[in-house]
Amino acid sequence: MKWYVVKRVGWTVVASYLTLSAMFVLLVMSPNPGMMQATMSCAAVGEDPDQCRENFKEQHGLDQPVTERYVNYMVNMVTLNWGWSHSRTQYVMAAIGEAWPYSAQYGIPTLILSTLIGYGIGIYSAYKQYSLADYGGAFVSFVGISIPNFWFALVLILLLSVWLNLFPVYYESLIPVEQGWLSMANLEQLVLPTIVLTSSSLAFQMRYTRSQMLEQMNKEFVKVAKAKGASDYQMLIWHVLRMAAVPLATSFVGVLIGVLWTGGIIIEQIFSIPGIGLMTYQAIIQQDTPLVLATVLIPTFIAILGNLFEDLAQIWLDPRIDYGNR
Amino acid sequence: MAADKPDFDAIDATFDTIDWDTKDVSAGTATRRDMVEIAAFVALLGALVYDYAILRNEGPLVLNWDVLSVEWMFIATLMLLFFHVVIPLQQRPRMRKFYWRRFKKNKVAVASLVYLIAIFTVGVFGPALMSPPEVHFVNRLKPPLFVTAEVNGQMMAGTMAHPLGTSQEGRDVLKLIVYGMRVSMQVGLISMAFAIILGSTVGTLAAFATSIDAGMVDEVLMRYVDLQSVFPVFMLLLLLTYLFGSQLWMIVALYGFFGWEGIARTVRGEALQRAEEEYVMAAQSAGANTAYVLRRHLIPNSANSIITLATILIPSFILGEASLAFLGFSDPDTFSWGRTIAAGQGYLAEGWWVSLFPGIFLFFTVLAFNFIGEAAQDAIDPRRSGEKGGGL
Repeated sequence: MKWYVVKRVGWTVVASYLTLSAMFVLLVMSPNPGMMQATMSCAAVGEDPDQCRENFKEQHGLDQPVTERYVNYMVNMVTLNWGWSHSRTQYVMAAIGEAWPYSAQYGIPTLILSTLIGYGIGIYSAYKQYSLADYGGAFVSFVGISIPNFWFALVLILLLSVWLNLFPVYYESLIPVEQGWLSMANLEQLVLPTIVLTSSSLAFQMRYTRSQMLEQMNKEFVKVAKAKGASDYQMLIWHVLRMAAVPLATSFVGVLIGVLWTGGIIIEQIFSIPGIGLMTYQAIIQQDTPLVLATVLIPTFIAILGNLFEDLAQIWLDPRIDYGNR
Repeated sequence: MAADKPDFDAIDATFDTIDWDTKDVSAGTATRRDMVEIAAFVALLGALVYDYAILRNEGPLVLNWDVLSVEWMFIATLMLLFFHVVIPLQQRPRMRKFYWRRFKKNKVAVASLVYLIAIFTVGVFGPALMSPPEVHFVNRLKPPLFVTAEVNGQMMAGTMAHPLGTSQEGRDVLKLIVYGMRVSMQVGLISMAFAIILGSTVGTLAAFATSIDAGMVDEVLMRYVDLQSVFPVFMLLLLLTYLFGSQLWMIVALYGFFGWEGIARTVRGEALQRAEEEYVMAAQSAGANTAYVLRRHLIPNSANSIITLATILIPSFILGEASLAFLGFSDPDTFSWGRTIAAGQGYLAEGWWVSLFPGIFLFFTVLAFNFIGEAAQDAIDPRRSGEKGGGL
């Protein structure tokens, strides 16, 4: 088992290295919008565009050989020196440090709510399979998976903010600074983003929990537990859920990244919340390459690390898995 | 199901009559259907070369239809669907009846199928019969039928000329929706075709490599799949469309290229089991080469799980493209639903219909694909036969 853990950690390092290298290749291959812009503005004022291109390359270290740039890039990435964001005139790391609390204030409640409610309904509908509640749950999860986040957000804004005037239409980023993060005004403007994101992430968790629970419920050990007189609660929580938690854990990071991170870009753009998502969106629009790079790499690393922790958690959750020969 | 209603009605329980003249049973040569398929694709390729080399893609190819990049892919995808789904179903009436009987138990899925066929038909033929939604500043923000709204300080009622109203630029919302149907169908189906081809090839190759003791190939392929499944595809697409431009064919191809890892994993698992079967050994000892075994035995026998996964992938591709379009990273020449919804966001209070109606169509399209995916899973997967239709 120790060998398995070592191998797993080793793969995490290799995967991170490959990801960073792939991004480098992408950057080298891609046209550089900054350089094109510099050349064009030179040509506009009548200077020699070739000279400008050389100047730009020199300025950004692009005149060095590719191998040297690759080494520099890797060293910078590993030492967390992720570069300067020209659109925000600050270091990339500082920009991320400034933005993440805005994302966390709706992301964390979404994660907690959707996991608790999703697992709860999922377990209940597996327990009462083919009951009215089960069909209701299935319907809700289908709607949640299928409804486009951005459209749902607009419909909620139209209904609750524009017509009924219950919630603010846009997020005021000054409110948490002036009145505190936990002030009523701040919480009020977080309600809609949280509802929208919870709806889709909840649906994924619900559907997956139900199918995993059902799969485990037909196993022999459940019959044994029943025969030995376990109550429904004991059977569900101690026997079935523990086993179902193994595959469920594997889906968790996927949900986190797939729903929260990409959903976050859309939600923050709609409500203009100045978090990581809006930062990503603006970085791309303003062609701020170091910032774009960071916003692609961070979720990738979260996913790689998350997968590592999931695999390690499985050792603890399901002692039956034999890791000896892997 | 097996208990209360048997699947095989006594009357239907006859074997298919097989016309052996149409079947080519010898190994190594192509069947008549393969020949027709190859001829059709050669013709398509010829038309493509003709359009780009001789007409230089200027001016219409057939009548007044100027076939553009993504539409070539769409035609190729429809041809693939025709030769590998419609024809096999048509040739095997017993299989068709069997699956249809299981599928139609799910009433919601049948309704979804009808809805999707309607969307597909209107999406494919509508734009040919209808002029594109053009900018008409005179018609700015006309409300839909039966709605009176105040626009620019004037009370206006909806008219038959624009039954779903018009946008800020005066584009007819109904036309925008019809043109968006084609975009959604193109995205869903073409990306699916890409993903299936890549995923099933990699999956069977990996499995076959294991079975002939070339485990290294399997290891490398599956490690790559692991890596790709970790990568946040949506972020990557944002990045790539930003770097290389955002034409629809590119978005479609990228979704296909980064969406196949699930198919590869499942097909590998299935094919690993199949590769051990006697019929593979029999084929090999009769002199079949690797490619033949892959194409004739491993891929067709994994078809069930491929179809199931494909129906789950289509809605995610459609939603993904709509989200990209909503954020403004879409082809400016196409009328994606996501783009129309984004356009309506700016004047939600005055012209709510611009965002609302395309969104309803998008929502129901994705929902319908999801329902069908669930029903197809029930119909195809024999292990699920005991359930009454997967929750709905």
